[in-house]
Amino acid sequence: MLKTEELQINIGPQHPSTHGVFRMLVTVDGETLVDLKPVFGYLHRNHEQLGEVNTYLQNMPFTDRLDYFNSMVNNHAYARTIETLAGVEVPERAQYIRVIMDELSRILNHATAMGFMLGDMGAWQTALLWGMREREKILDMFEYVSGARMMCNYCRFGGVVRDIDDWFITELKKLMQGLPHYFDDFEGLLLNSEILLARARNIGVLPKELALAYSVTGPVLRGSGVAYDIRKAEPYAVYDRFKFKVPVGTVGDVYDRFLVRIAEMRESYKILEQALEQLPDATGGFINPKVKQQSLKAPAGEAYARVESPKGELGFYVVSDGSGSAYRYKVRAPSFINLSALADMCKGYTIADVVVILGSIDIVMGEVDR
Amino acid sequence: MTLSHLATEDVFVVERNDADFRAGQGMTKGLGIVFRKFRKALFGKPNSDRADTEGQFNVQYPEERLAMPEAYRNMPILLYDDATGHELCTSCFQCERICPPQVIHITQAKDPATGKPVPAAAKFVLEYDTCMSCGYCAEVCPFDAIKMDHDFELSTANHPELDVDYNRLLRPVSYYETIAPTMWSDVKEQAMKKLQNNIKRRPGDIGRDHGQKIKGGAPVAAAATPAAGAAPAAAAKPRGPVAAIGKNMPEDKTAKLLAIRAANAAKRGGGAADAAPVAQAAPVVEAVADAPAAVSAAPTGPVAAIGQNMSEDKRAKLEAIRAAKRAERGE
Amino acid sequence: MALLARGELRSILQTQLPNVLDSRWDTQATDQVEAHGEGQTVLLDFDAVVKAEAIVEVAHFVRDTFGYDFLSNITAVDYLKQGLIELVYQFYNAAEGGPDLRVRVRIGRSPEECIVPSLTPTWPGADLQEREAYDMYGVVFPGHPNLARIYMWDEFKGFPMRKDFPKTGDKYTHVTGE
Repeated sequence: MLKTEELQINIGPQHPSTHGVFRMLVTVDGETLVDLKPVFGYLHRNHEQLGEVNTYLQNMPFTDRLDYFNSMVNNHAYARTIETLAGVEVPERAQYIRVIMDELSRILNHATAMGFMLGDMGAWQTALLWGMREREKILDMFEYVSGARMMCNYCRFGGVVRDIDDWFITELKKLMQGLPHYFDDFEGLLLNSEILLARARNIGVLPKELALAYSVTGPVLRGSGVAYDIRKAEPYAVYDRFKFKVPVGTVGDVYDRFLVRIAEMRESYKILEQALEQLPDATGGFINPKVKQQSLKAPAGEAYARVESPKGELGFYVVSDGSGSAYRYKVRAPSFINLSALADMCKGYTIADVVVILGSIDIVMGEVDR
Repeated sequence: MTLSHLATEDVFVVERNDADFRAGQGMTKGLGIVFRKFRKALFGKPNSDRADTEGQFNVQYPEERLAMPEAYRNMPILLYDDATGHELCTSCFQCERICPPQVIHITQAKDPATGKPVPAAAKFVLEYDTCMSCGYCAEVCPFDAIKMDHDFELSTANHPELDVDYNRLLRPVSYYETIAPTMWSDVKEQAMKKLQNNIKRRPGDIGRDHGQKIKGGAPVAAAATPAAGAAPAAAAKPRGPVAAIGKNMPEDKTAKLLAIRAANAAKRGGGAADAAPVAQAAPVVEAVADAPAAVSAAPTGPVAAIGQNMSEDKRAKLEAIRAAKRAERGE
Repeated sequence: MALLARGELRSILQTQLPNVLDSRWDTQATDQVEAHGEGQTVLLDFDAVVKAEAIVEVAHFVRDTFGYDFLSNITAVDYLKQGLIELVYQFYNAAEGGPDLRVRVRIGRSPEECIVPSLTPTWPGADLQEREAYDMYGVVFPGHPNLARIYMWDEFKGFPMRKDFPKTGDKYTHVTGE
């Protein structure tokens, strides 16, 4: 009598498709996945304790290193938390600049995330480099305005460190001329490709109820059909002034998440257009001059502020004891919590699907392990 | 699920392609796009505009370089005044205090006669290996003494040398002016005014006794080894720790190297047949000095301003070596 | 299914589920923090502070009664001076949007007291966050399917985010802490 035996194998920590040093301990029965245990900690550096040792301003560049694709968004979330805590007002122009940077981040993040996911599927490099190319154009602009391509360190309490100038706006307009073509090309490249359909449709299904119970956020949650977007649910910055839509999926598979990301890039484009139109002139300033950046002291209390990062809900929970540094500093990292759904999404599919499903969650280990 | 916080027109369901598999039409369409792009990349013009989505995007790095925006920050450097040789740093410890990874270490200078502190730094050590390039030191410095350099080619096989001391941190103000003209012109006046005030409180050579510069302000290396002036090795030019060859080595080694280079230069100068390589070797110093200027040209698009300096520099060096060898062989 | 204002849950619980509130903190309901100076720690008593053993019941209550079905964040905070570890649960109403609803649990720091029932059976999204709280603060969650260290290695001793964990020193380099 023939019988099959379950086998345990490690994928990672050093594996090209794990998107960082992430280990998956999978139990397989033949090709079919029976169980999956994510193993964390290879990139752990106790970021949260650093946040308790550093002063508020000193911690800003450390937040760049969380989700290093979207340091602008991380800065924004952290600055917003401390602004809530200390009661700092932010000039309108700074709010708009932050929104522009956030949406640019979203476009570059989704472009590369989809590129990486398609790379995992076997569309080796072409799609990824298309994503990288768009990202490169945006990173050049980040570099111009903040001084660094990835570790932007751009926000300050009550504003941003440097104003955007005519050069930036001209280049942004030029970039936006090309973006719709890019979206079309990207869709045309692979959206209807038979290989992609075979690898993505009905793979890694996460039903709506389960998605909520798993606390997943961002495109993963919306791909499952829950129209929850913090920009709409609890508008921050100036997001309530823009007209944009929340794309949702129906099935909750890899394909839906892929489609939601493309749709979100198009929505980001709409927001950018409106933000450029509404951008107030420089008279209001781009930073609140009253704030003492270096010696900022927040009154005792606590604050939680969250933003819709491209990967999901990014929040910082800060408890202050009245001194110049946080008493407790906690990061609610979206890709970390999205990962808790990984095992459930993978069960029952083949081992080749695991890397695709992981790619569709879009994780960054800097944020997962903190 | 009813979502009362969202109006129905604010939500839309993405359009899925639930059709059955066809015989590769979708794939053919994708390949068509790839082919179109490929043709444009092969025969099209290099990409010059951010709006372009087709054409060549590559920048052949060591030979071609992107323009660095002024705000670009890599590693901190310290400035000194070209004219007097006085360093702008007054050891106020602002940067040491703000530095998130705590890599700046300053010792304040003391007046040897009275023992009182002087507004100048006796020692200034910066750990480049741990620096996270956040730029806070440059941001908080009230004297504009510490600035962020644009030089990013700092790789080395020797880890301890990344603890950079005062001598290797110093750059003249004119260098910073070339890499960040508008940022410097914004602060120039007040920085220089503050410096003049501080110079008054600095007895003797304190505040200008570091690095390869002498009292008059002329660079030490050029003055001490006139022969080396012709050679590309002259450490006089302000070009970051990598380019300044002698800086990372012990002093005697540097001296030896300079001597060898000087000899080579003399040889090259002697060989009349090698006039052309000499002529090529001579602009090397210029080319290097010009490099920051080219780099700091107005930051237009990603591909627009391509500094060709590296290839020239390299070519010139190669030519120099070949010429020396030819001279040795007596050609 | 409605949104609750901050502090409203406390009064609702007092009438509907009187046994779940932690009696140590049900006397004062104020948004004002304790008198503080620098280095003082604060305990906010504004939100509902519930007994550890009642957290599952309260979580289900807010989900089923008010639609707070989205457990976003679990934060452990170590209040060394008060000898407490506080767990802050943040719920969101996915249908209504709006701000969060905070439910707090305060427990002692000793291993016997540092126990809170797990929410993972109902909210599997709490899985990794509870493991993190266990790893960093030593909070034990009975009912959790796989309560193992998440970031530190399994042999690691101590809970590194606790305030009394030595910040310097390492047994591997033989440098002693403060």
